[in-house]
Amino acid sequence: MRLKDCHNFYDFRKLAEKKLPSPIFHYIDGAADDEITYKRNTSAFNDVDLVPNVLRGVENVDLSTTIFGKKIDLPFYCAPTALQRLFHYDGERAVGKAAQKFNTMFGVSALATVSVEEISSMIDTPKMFQFYFHKDRGLNDSCLERAKAAKFDVMALTVDTITGGNRERDLRTGFTSPPKLTLSSLFSFAIKPMWGINYLTKGKFELPHLQDYVKEGTSTNTSIGNYFSTMLDQSMNWKDAEKLCSQWGGHFALKGVMSVEDAKKAVDIGCTGIMVSNHGGRQLDGSRSPFDQLSEIVDAVGDKIDVICEGGFQRGTHMLKALSIGAKACSGGRLYLYALAAAGQAGVERALGQYKAELERDMKLMGCTKISDLSRSNLRFRKNGS
Amino acid sequence: MDLDDCHNFDDFRILAKKKLPSPIFHYIDGGSDDEITLKRNTNSFNSCDLIPNVLNGVENPDLTTTIFGRKINMPLFLSPTAMQRLYHPDGDKASARAAEKFGTMYSMSTMANTSIEEISNISSGPKLFQLYVHKDKSITDDLVERCKRANFDGLCLTVDTIVAGNRERDHRTGFTTPPKLTFKSLVDFAVKPKWVFDYFTNKKFELSNVKNKTDKGTNITKSVIEYINEQYDPGMNWKDAEYIVKKWNGPFALKGIMSLEDVERAIDIGCTAVMISNHGGRQLDGSLSPFDQIKEISDKFGDKVEIILDGGIRRGTHVIKALAAGAKACSFGKGYLFSLSAGGQKGVEKMLQNMHNEIKRNMKLMGCKNLKELNSSKLAYR
Repeated sequence: MRLKDCHNFYDFRKLAEKKLPSPIFHYIDGAADDEITYKRNTSAFNDVDLVPNVLRGVENVDLSTTIFGKKIDLPFYCAPTALQRLFHYDGERAVGKAAQKFNTMFGVSALATVSVEEISSMIDTPKMFQFYFHKDRGLNDSCLERAKAAKFDVMALTVDTITGGNRERDLRTGFTSPPKLTLSSLFSFAIKPMWGINYLTKGKFELPHLQDYVKEGTSTNTSIGNYFSTMLDQSMNWKDAEKLCSQWGGHFALKGVMSVEDAKKAVDIGCTGIMVSNHGGRQLDGSRSPFDQLSEIVDAVGDKIDVICEGGFQRGTHMLKALSIGAKACSGGRLYLYALAAAGQAGVERALGQYKAELERDMKLMGCTKISDLSRSNLRFRKNGS
Repeated sequence: MDLDDCHNFDDFRILAKKKLPSPIFHYIDGGSDDEITLKRNTNSFNSCDLIPNVLNGVENPDLTTTIFGRKINMPLFLSPTAMQRLYHPDGDKASARAAEKFGTMYSMSTMANTSIEEISNISSGPKLFQLYVHKDKSITDDLVERCKRANFDGLCLTVDTIVAGNRERDHRTGFTTPPKLTFKSLVDFAVKPKWVFDYFTNKKFELSNVKNKTDKGTNITKSVIEYINEQYDPGMNWKDAEYIVKKWNGPFALKGIMSLEDVERAIDIGCTAVMISNHGGRQLDGSLSPFDQIKEISDKFGDKVEIILDGGIRRGTHVIKALAAGAKACSFGKGYLFSLSAGGQKGVEKMLQNMHNEIKRNMKLMGCKNLKELNSSKLAYR
């Protein structure tokens, strides 16, 4: 199986599984507890059907949208995800360049393996920095200052990782970052020699935003759950978020908001956007899917801030449905991570190109030429009729 | 595979399956008829989603709640289950000690293999006794008085076993108690020599609480089904229940009620708690799951009686959903019996630790500082 055999999300996932040592594949692929929420994030789209219109003259489709004051050419973007150089040796460099090529937003994680400075010198398209609230305030200030200096457009504070989720696949595979070669994991690394060679020869693995402050930044092996539970400040509250928001002084979003109440509070503290997200089902299993919750939140705050729907997207039609409800844009992690693992920048470009082609085709089939043509009148819910 | 590999219910179940002779494993694992209700008890939690709140400053959520007049340190406790000696030589003692360690309630079945007095001697933790009404009323009276003397905190009367459920796995495996070695079951036992060794080298199997009152307690090889059908009083009615409530004169629950009407009557006869339960899907197959029914009951009676959800709990999030729907606490049977089979007291402790971790972690992820903050605004039913 090669990159040219990848026609959709599921193909990329398969190719990624072939290329990655299994603890790393399962780190991407897994979620919390029984992975009920992870599955629901996608299956929620299947409880609603699209109702197309015909004879609308749709040869030219404009997929552009404006989020956080920036026009992007696609109504979806690459959500910030951690540790990308574990998945492919180019890591964030590959994803950033691919995002630039399609002129969409590129989200960079606080746990990125390439620095904001390097990314900033590499791409000039819209960039978002994702931020965790650490106990170490010096580290927090440093992250904000560096992102500001590197001219990032948006700051997103993640609020759904107050403690690490129970990712049982990681417990079983013994996944840590950087990877620790235990006897049990050795075999899974040994049978993927290319990954090992690239990992060891293509530059040292590091977490440049953290390494001056915490030992987890460089060489200590830690699980991500453990990192969340020990390094992040669990007492984080609305006051802290408000302070960060004004300290940043630009477009500021909360990532991981699920309740209407919290969405309204986000508006009150000065956020310009929120990501409706459950962290890809990786934190609280049994929590509601972003798509199921989207309409309530759009109704409450959609006219005041940008509401982004994040999680579960595997098809262009999934995005059409979220945009029809009123999401300003869609974002996802696995959406491009399997493609990154499968083939680096070329993989991510192919994946983004496919979603774009799907969206264009589906917009035409829906009888729509621009994102603002989509509305809830395009949708029929199978249950509850909401 | 050992205890260190057990991260969740399914892991403990698999380890228990490896350790137990198959008729005994299937006695725990099985339900009645087609096991539709057994499955629904857990699946019902998946028809409902949690809506978390963020930025609430939740370093240290308080997991305590009060049931049967006792404060417990986590909103999940051990349901009464029969014949724990079959699962591990330490049986009820292991469960009681583990529960005490976690500051939660241990419950003893009428059909325990350890006596009320023995447990009282080894545990000062919260204790609940589960009562079956026998045809011989003196058995019932004797049990109530002994519980009182032994300082049990609460009593619950099981009301959903008026006749035994159709547990077809037991028909197939030939499960009896004490185990009867027929040719058919011989192989099942022979392949688990460690279990057989433990069983015969430890204390004799007996129904310690009723052994002086009925010879069925020890000697005669009976299936549980036959025991229930012969010894329990199928004529039991609300008057009998009221008689026991009065006789006990303390925190009291009916275990195994499902309808709003019955909850109302339970309150009328003086119950302080109700255990919403279908006996783990082991009695009336096709009956409603506790979680599907809990919200209606708690909306109507939550301020009058302690509502306990019993059945289907496998995860911390299940407990959180039950509490958000109005339960005061949850209890589980299979959830700890597999861990008891897998590793005795250590196994039960590991299970309780896992559940404690899950409930605490998920309270933080829900943005809740205490259990009272869980309410129906945190739930979205699909």
